[in-house]
This record gives sequence, structure tokens and C-alpha cells, in this order.
Amino acid sequence: METLHPRIRLLWIARGALAAVVLGVVLTAIDQWQVTVPVVAIGGVVALGLVTGTGYALRLYQVWQFELQDDALYLERGVVTFVETAVPFVRVQHVDTQFGPIERVLGLSSVVVYTAGSRNADVRIPGLTPERARTLQNTLRELAVESEADDAV
Amino acid sequence: MPSDANRLHPLSAVTLALQRGLTGLSMPFFVVMILSTIFDGVDIDWIFMLAPVGFVVGIGYGIAYYYRFTYAITSRTLDVTSGVFSRRSREIPYRRIQNVDVSQGVLYRIFGLAVVSLETAGGGETEATLNFVSEAEAERLRAEIRRQTARADDDDASSDERAASASGSASASGVDESTRHERSHPDRRPTLLFELEPTELLVYALTSFRWGAAVFPIALVIFLTSADSGSGLVPAFVLEIARPVGGPASLDGAAVGSLLVLIAVTALQWSVATYVASAIYTVANYYGFRLGRAGADFVYERGLIQRYSGSIPVDKVQSVTITENPLQRLVGYAGLWVETAGYGPESSGGSQSAIPLAETDRIYRFAENLTDVETPRFQRPPTLARRRYLVRYSAIAAIVVAVAFGLAQGTGLERWYLAVAVFVAVPLAAHLKYVNLGYHVGEEHLVIRSGFWNRRTTVIPYYRIQTVSTRRSIFQRRLGLASLAVDTASSRTFSWGTPTVPDLELETARELHGIGRERLQSAVRERARSDETGLSVDFT
Repeated sequence: METLHPRIRLLWIARGALAAVVLGVVLTAIDQWQVTVPVVAIGGVVALGLVTGTGYALRLYQVWQFELQDDALYLERGVVTFVETAVPFVRVQHVDTQFGPIERVLGLSSVVVYTAGSRNADVRIPGLTPERARTLQNTLRELAVESEADDAV
Repeated sequence: MPSDANRLHPLSAVTLALQRGLTGLSMPFFVVMILSTIFDGVDIDWIFMLAPVGFVVGIGYGIAYYYRFTYAITSRTLDVTSGVFSRRSREIPYRRIQNVDVSQGVLYRIFGLAVVSLETAGGGETEATLNFVSEAEAERLRAEIRRQTARADDDDASSDERAASASGSASASGVDESTRHERSHPDRRPTLLFELEPTELLVYALTSFRWGAAVFPIALVIFLTSADSGSGLVPAFVLEIARPVGGPASLDGAAVGSLLVLIAVTALQWSVATYVASAIYTVANYYGFRLGRAGADFVYERGLIQRYSGSIPVDKVQSVTITENPLQRLVGYAGLWVETAGYGPESSGGSQSAIPLAETDRIYRFAENLTDVETPRFQRPPTLARRRYLVRYSAIAAIVVAVAFGLAQGTGLERWYLAVAVFVAVPLAAHLKYVNLGYHVGEEHLVIRSGFWNRRTTVIPYYRIQTVSTRRSIFQRRLGLASLAVDTASSRTFSWGTPTVPDLELETARELHGIGRERLQSAVRERARSDETGLSVDFT
């Protein structure tokens, strides 16, 4: 089983921190215009948000794993709900590599695998180095072409 | 552009011109109105000069749109070219077409017109809409698409066998012959598989609940009360009806108890009105339902006022679902749905009611013949699952009591503790949820059943699996349980959710996960050899 690049934790922690800050801003706004919210409460909520967010990010990194198996791409992920997904190569429609601005700064990239399924039609593997993302994309594409079925839909 | 390019019905030039003309007419109103409030130089009177100009431009645009919209049937694709300024030409390969739907509103029927929509699996919307063509042209298009699809299939090296197996008894040449025959005799009806009889329609109308119909009573009330204003937010008749059973005389200063009575009585009225509206809607939509077979397609038609018809290629069917609500189970009826990956009209997805309602035995026999699944012997998740539902519903009941308590604090509601009575329903609800769960691991299909209010039994061929997931929430992990979600390309799962076997033992879930993957692979290999669809058109 392959794990993600450790730097993805920074991205996830930043995301959690952002959510905590937004929550803080909302509470401050309520304090200004609606009912008074004690400063301690706002600080406490933001701090709690930060701690939870960081803990969540670290745990998510711990559980996130994926593997190329004989017939399918296999992934394990999720903190609250742990999900094991198999995406058979025959069902892969196309594969993308993507990276947002923050991922670019961190030198990370994601691979997104699309199926014709209706829910969870796209499976994202975040936190890969650009080289790994490219090789994974190529491998998946080859495997998908190799095992191509005639009429999936 | 091919020489055999077709245009829409000439009348559509008129409606297009009128539509765009009205848009052009109304645009100056808004623009001048807004601009005149911002700039002093803009005069309201400009409207009277600009509006006619807008109208003429709009009409011109509508007519240009008509002349710039063409479609053509070529040997491999259906081409649609459209757009006045920015042109779009779209080529749809026949073998990618999921279903073809034709709908006709009242006026359309009077003038012999029809709207044709073509669905493919890609994207979130209808691939091509021909709005509108003549009835005869719609019929010709459908027959032509069917003929070309069959031909495109024949071009495939191995598709002879497919056509043969897809049409059951008929051989590949038989299919071709029958479609050719159909073309030369356009009046020839497809072979009838099922016809909804008046009693079945009545039972369907009385036993199906469409919550969407809840808007009809509201719309009616708004429409009626707007005539005699002054009744305020709550129409007078609502208060009138609730008064004899303890409702308040007026909303101002009413006691909480009487307000609750008012709410209960109104909710009851609303439900009854919704039920009636839903029954009327069902009758109007499913009147004269017929399902037939033409070549390797299912063809259906239905509708009293607005007429719907369409075709569903059998080898595009992703899964088959049997639906039964408690009332239907009581009278021994059920419905059958076939699901494709297309996006259909009325946002029903690619799912079409193959049989709206028939006796349960018959429906199960149809489903078995259609998918070739063996009679399922359902297994249930472990009884631990029932304990989970008990806890879950207890939590919901606790929330209800808490809300009642909260209300009592704020409003002086007496006897809030009577809300505790909801706990009585908890064991029953948990039990009903549990006993309606079931799964069957077949040779070539996975059958999943769940739901008390809307019990759905879905037959998923392993061949149609897109992804398999084993999910465990924190609560499930404590109990060693897991849910198995099997995703297919069926677009119905948008509204029905991914078919899931909930709360299996972790080991069973993992085993099923493996079986699903394995049998998908062997089905793919087998399919590559024989090219069999595994579905039978002639299922009755």
C-alpha cells in the first residue's frame, strides 16, 4: 500500500485552520450585530476548531492509502466514515492530473480517476509528487486501455 | 453540410420567432427602466421606440435560428447543427444513444407535433432536443435511429450474436428484417409486452404518493385567495374548518394548544388534497400505458393530456428495480423500472417505468425473465443491525422530546411530556427497517432490497458495476459492521442513492466486495468472447 506525500498534511491543516478562522469571523459578526458573544467563547471555539482540524488532518493522512491491484485501483480513506473503494480498470473513463495554487506551492499534485458511475464518479488521490502523479496517470491509462470493455454504458 | 439535412417543423419557425420577439420586446423595458433610475439622460419614453425595434430583432433572430438549425441522419451518426452566431455542430454516434423520448403537449397533439429528445450517457443534460417536428417525422426518426443502430451493431464483428441474444428468439437477420419491414410499413405496431389495464391504473393512482403534488394545493389556495384579499397570511377557510374541533377563532392571542390543533387539521387537509392531486397526476401521466418491443428496443407510450413515448435500447439497461410501498404490498401489487445512464425528461433520469403497476408475482416473473436472474433467496444482515436502528431511532425520538420540552419553555405548552409517546414507535420502526433489508448474491447478479415506505429491490448485473465501496462509520466500526455500496452508471441513483447493502458483518462485506470485483472481471471476459447482453427483450 502506498501512502500520500507527508506535505499534504500542511494543506489539510491549512484547510482546517481556514474553516476555524471563518467560524471565528462569523461569531465576531454575530457579536457585532446580534447578541454579544464573549471573547473567551470566540477564542475557545476558534482554538477548538484549530485543534480538531489539525487532529483530523493528521489522522486523515494516517489512514489514506492506495494501491494498484491486479484488476482495480484500490483506495482506503476517511476519518469519520472509513471507506474502501475499488475502481476496476475496465471502468476507468479517463484520468486527470490536477493541482491548485496551494498544491503548486507545496509541490504536490492530484490524480483524478473518472468512471461512468453516478455517485462518486470521480475518485481523487491527493498529495502526490508531480512525477508520481504523472507516472500513476500513465499507468492507469495503460491499464484502462488494456482492459477496455466494449460497452460500459 | 450533408444534402439530406432536415429542418424542424415550419410551425416552429413561427413559435421561435414569437418567443424571441417577445424577449426582444420586453428587454428594452427592463434596460430602460433600470438605466433611467441611474442616469438622468435616459428617458422612459425611449421604451416606445426601442421595444418595437427589439421585437423585430427578436423575430429576425427566431427565424434565423430556425434556418440555422439542421439535423441529419448519416450512416454512423446523428448530426445536429445549430446556433445563429456561434455555431455548434454535434455528431452523436448511434451506439451511444441511450434512449429516445418523444413528448407531446395538448396543443402539439392538436397540430400533430412532437418534441424529440435524445439521451446519451455523457453530461448532465439531454444531448439533443428537436423542438419541434411533426408526428410523422418523430416516428420516422425513431425508426431510422433504430435501423441505423442495428446496422451499426452489425458492422461490429461479433454483434450478430448480440442482436440474436438481445432479441431472444429472433436471429440477427430477423431483427434487421423486422425493422426493415417496419420501415416499409410505418403503421405496424411493435409487439405488445404489457398494457396497463384500467383497474391497474386506478390501483396505481390510489396507492402511489407523489410528494411533489403537495405544491398543487398551495398553488390552488394562492390562486383562489388572491381573489378575495384581506384574509391575511392564513386563508379564512383554514381557521373555519379547524374551529369545531378546537381550533382558534383567530390567530391573534390564540393558545398554543388550539394552535397545534389548527396545525394538525391543516396538515391533514393538505395531505388529503395532495393525495387527490397526486392521484389525478398519476392518472393523467400513466393513462393508456403500453410497453412493447421493436427490434432490440423497448418502446413505451403513456399519458392522457400530455403524451409521452420513447424507446429504450435493451443493451443499455443498467439495472432493474422493483418498487413497492406498504399499500401496494397490502393489495399485492408492485412496479418495475428499468434504468439507463441517460438523462430523461421530467428529471426522471434514464429511468423509465417498464411496468407502472401489476400483481407482485407477475412483476417478479417479469424481472426474472428480463434479467435472467434466478429467484432470489434473500439473506439479511446480522441482528446487530437492528440494534443499531433501535439506537438511531431512539436518538431521533429523544430529539423530538427535547424539541417539545424546548417549546414548552418558550410558549407555556402544557403536557409536553406526552411527546415521550414517540418512543413507543421506536422498536417497531427499527424492526420494520430491519425486516425489509435483504440481499441475494446470484450467479450473475446482485439483488439488493431495502426500505419500508418505498421498498426497492434492485437487480444489478455484476457486469454493470462501476465501483465497489465498503463503508464503515465510527458507529459501525464499534460494532464490527460495514455497508457495501455498489455503484452503476444508472442515472436514477441521483435521486435513489447508490444501491447499498447496509450493516453487514465486516467479513461478509469484504467477501461481497471481492465477489463483485471478481464476477465483474469474469463477466467482462465472457462478454469479450460471446458478446452477450444478458438481458432479454421478450420478457413476458
